[in-house]
Amino acid sequence: MVKKERIARVLVVLFVFIAVLIFVVGWLKNQNLNADSIQIHARMPENGGWSVTSINAETNQPIHLKLTSDDVVHGFAIGKTNHPAVDIFPGEFVETTLLFDKPGTYTFYCTRWCGVNHWRMRGTIDVRGEGPLVTNPPPAYLQLGIDIDTEHEAEVIPATDVSPQTGSLFADDLPSYVLDQETYFSNSPAKIWMRLRAEPTLSELSDQEVWDVVAWIWQKNTSPSMIETGQTLYAENCAACHGETGKGDGIMVRDLPKHDSDEHSTNDPHSESGMGGLIRPHDFTDANHVLGASPALFSGKIIRGGMGTGMPYWGPIFTEEQINALVSYIYTFAW
Amino acid sequence: MNRVDLTRFPKTSALLRSRWPQFLLRAVTLAGFVFTILAGLFGSVVGSHNFAIIFVWIAWWSALKLFFIPFGGRSWCSICPIPMPGEWMQKGGLFSPSGKGFGLGKRWPKKLRGNWLQAGGFLLIGLFGAVTLTSARVTALILLFIIILAFVLSLVFERRSFCNYLCPIGGFTGLYAQAGPVEVRVKEKQVCAEHSEKTCYTACPWGQYPLALKSSADCGLCMECLRVCPSDNIAVNLRPWGSDLGPKSKQSLDEVFLGLVMLASVLVDSAVFLGPWGQLKTAAYEIGSLSWLGFAGLFLFVSFGVLPSLFSTAVWAATKLGSAKTTFRKTLMNYGQVLVPLGLMAWIAFTVSFAFVKFSYVLPVISDPFGWGWNLIGFTGKAQVGQSTPFSIWIQILLLCVGLFWASRVANQISETSKQAFPIITFSCLFSAGMLWLLIG
Amino acid sequence: MKSDSVLKNLVKKNWWISLIVLLALLIIFIPLPQSQNDAADRHFQVEASMFQFIPGRIQVNQGDRITLELISTDVVHGLSIDGYDFELIADPGQSQTATFIANKTGVFRFRCSIACGNMHPFMIGKLQVGPNWVLVRGIILGVLAVFAAFLSFRQSSHIQKSTVS
Repeated sequence: MVKKERIARVLVVLFVFIAVLIFVVGWLKNQNLNADSIQIHARMPENGGWSVTSINAETNQPIHLKLTSDDVVHGFAIGKTNHPAVDIFPGEFVETTLLFDKPGTYTFYCTRWCGVNHWRMRGTIDVRGEGPLVTNPPPAYLQLGIDIDTEHEAEVIPATDVSPQTGSLFADDLPSYVLDQETYFSNSPAKIWMRLRAEPTLSELSDQEVWDVVAWIWQKNTSPSMIETGQTLYAENCAACHGETGKGDGIMVRDLPKHDSDEHSTNDPHSESGMGGLIRPHDFTDANHVLGASPALFSGKIIRGGMGTGMPYWGPIFTEEQINALVSYIYTFAW
Repeated sequence: MNRVDLTRFPKTSALLRSRWPQFLLRAVTLAGFVFTILAGLFGSVVGSHNFAIIFVWIAWWSALKLFFIPFGGRSWCSICPIPMPGEWMQKGGLFSPSGKGFGLGKRWPKKLRGNWLQAGGFLLIGLFGAVTLTSARVTALILLFIIILAFVLSLVFERRSFCNYLCPIGGFTGLYAQAGPVEVRVKEKQVCAEHSEKTCYTACPWGQYPLALKSSADCGLCMECLRVCPSDNIAVNLRPWGSDLGPKSKQSLDEVFLGLVMLASVLVDSAVFLGPWGQLKTAAYEIGSLSWLGFAGLFLFVSFGVLPSLFSTAVWAATKLGSAKTTFRKTLMNYGQVLVPLGLMAWIAFTVSFAFVKFSYVLPVISDPFGWGWNLIGFTGKAQVGQSTPFSIWIQILLLCVGLFWASRVANQISETSKQAFPIITFSCLFSAGMLWLLIG
Repeated sequence: MKSDSVLKNLVKKNWWISLIVLLALLIIFIPLPQSQNDAADRHFQVEASMFQFIPGRIQVNQGDRITLELISTDVVHGLSIDGYDFELIADPGQSQTATFIANKTGVFRFRCSIACGNMHPFMIGKLQVGPNWVLVRGIILGVLAVFAAFLSFRQSSHIQKSTVS
């Protein structure tokens, strides 16, 4: 009897011990495996966002990341680099290795929409080491002194659809400044139209023909591949708020009050219009709004974000080319 | 009639009589229980990648309803790890009682007897079901709480008080074990009557006296009586399904209530987990919110209002149709039996509807129990979005029809006339139609 | 002689079982005339959010060409239909559209196919193609079950009476 009891006790202890052992050994082994890599859990911002928000690195020293998600699909990418975006699925692990050759501060961010606060899922990687720091020139809107928060309704808009083809017919008659990239960048289409309208050499053109010329200038400053890049970036990053058709009615903002230009001047943050006074973004298909803005203004808004309006800041994320592509895509809504 | 006594065959008899097979199973389930708690507490927070969620709510919960209860009554109770630590303390030994047990051995308060608390516990599980079912942490904490509670209670109260009066699964299993095909009964009543020591009663962790045992709801199939009976007078019978049900037996009031709670739970669970009503799911999930209160109100209204009043109406009509001497209470206790096959088959059909779909998660969590990215048996990442197939849909329909047939048959057997059975059968039809609509409509 | 009467008895005892089984098989398998209606093009916008599809029920006729547009309103969701080889995955801001022909009748669940949080496994909607004959057959089968219960009870009490006498 006593012998059986002893065997029984040993067995129970042994079995429970094995169960605990599997766990403990697994835990320690996991710790070891992860010693040379950084494990990052992605969670919706409401649940804590990235579990690691700042990473220190050295130039030319690879960092191994082990990424997983605790709730929904997320993505991982590093702003202003060519590192391919990595999708992170709930409960699954995905590994990626980062290598930086220039010191500087990089921003990593979530690439798959994970709720209204998706854009808040960001963290920084501080890369130290030899070599010149990655620096960004001050954005054009600051160089040009454009106040991106003022109203910029277009003074004039085309009466009907514009035709860059028609506009190209008058290319030879145009003053030389119009083909200057600087001119394109710092002027809104409406401004350029008014300047061209005032040119005595173009007085024979109809108003619509001047618009065609402006459209042609805008076309000259972009390319189909830029528009395509812009379209992809827009769909992935902007459409959830600005709407898939640019109407400012994206699914994340559709419960907010509509943008009303009359009421806009009294933009009281304490007004009772829903979520902390937030309103829907502008309608990009509204020529009045878009044709009154210069590319520099749009890129400024993208870089800086619209403080307090809910528009995130994309400065640390998009390269200059990407922003230019986005801007040229935005104009396609309005033409 | 038609019973096969397993103790008559040397092999099965040895298997049941020896403490080793059962002991080993208990040791394994206890280790599995500990493992499950660890996985739940420290593993992945994503349910589909956590052993605790998949094994408790898909593997075990399905096995209980598809295998243990329909083919073994309370067979799970005989290997359940939850009361084990406490019982070992009470007995003073892991393998067999040493006589040096520990525990205050108090009697369970009379007012708290019966299935009432179990029914309440089951309702609570249902009210918080959306979170328990999907959060590994909560699942692990509940398991931990239950095993600690069972341990503490067994130190204070005698025998398996926790199993008898508190365990929600015990209530569920016990209720439907009445329809199960296994029973422990005495062979010759005379032998027991002449035996003055009642060793079987002393040994029974469930506090049953086998000679008086009528319903398999009360017997945990632990086989202790078989082992201590000096006259080999205990039979372990395989019997036709539903043998406990019939004109000669009846349900106590708490069993009737438990039966109704189970019907309400399977209806609400089907609506929440299988239905297309997203708001209901959100309401069930957001515990503490206003919408959750609405959900809880609806759940309790179905459990305490809709089903009891429908059933009472049916029973009242049956009382009117019966002979003059019958009372409402008597009729209620008789017809309470109808709820057993009705509920059992509905639960099985409900289980079929999700177990088939979600089964593809089981092997992957064996491959990676904590969701740490392991791949022990090569199944990690092999889980698919399950589909319900026409096959599983027809199985569900047939199961519900069997339940309805069975319930109607029991109602007929109990009734004095077929006319008297009519209201109860109408109730069964209504319930089955509701289930059918929720599952396949 | 004796075995013959036992057999007869058995047949007598169990004739009703064969009858019920026959009827049950008939209810399950009897082919129904296909309703002839012109296949139409149907367009549905399904909005997915944690953890529901709106609309949660879609009803179409057999043969319809169904164009589904999946719009995710919070996180990435998917939509796959049981029994149909059809799946859509949509990010918020990037709604996805695909077309299929509803050639199978019955009620099919559609589920979110991309893990989207705790209640994801229960994010379910229903697509009904044509009338739900399976439900109708199930109900008739249920009526048969009740009928069978009466018969079986009558038979067994008959036997009991006859064995008693």
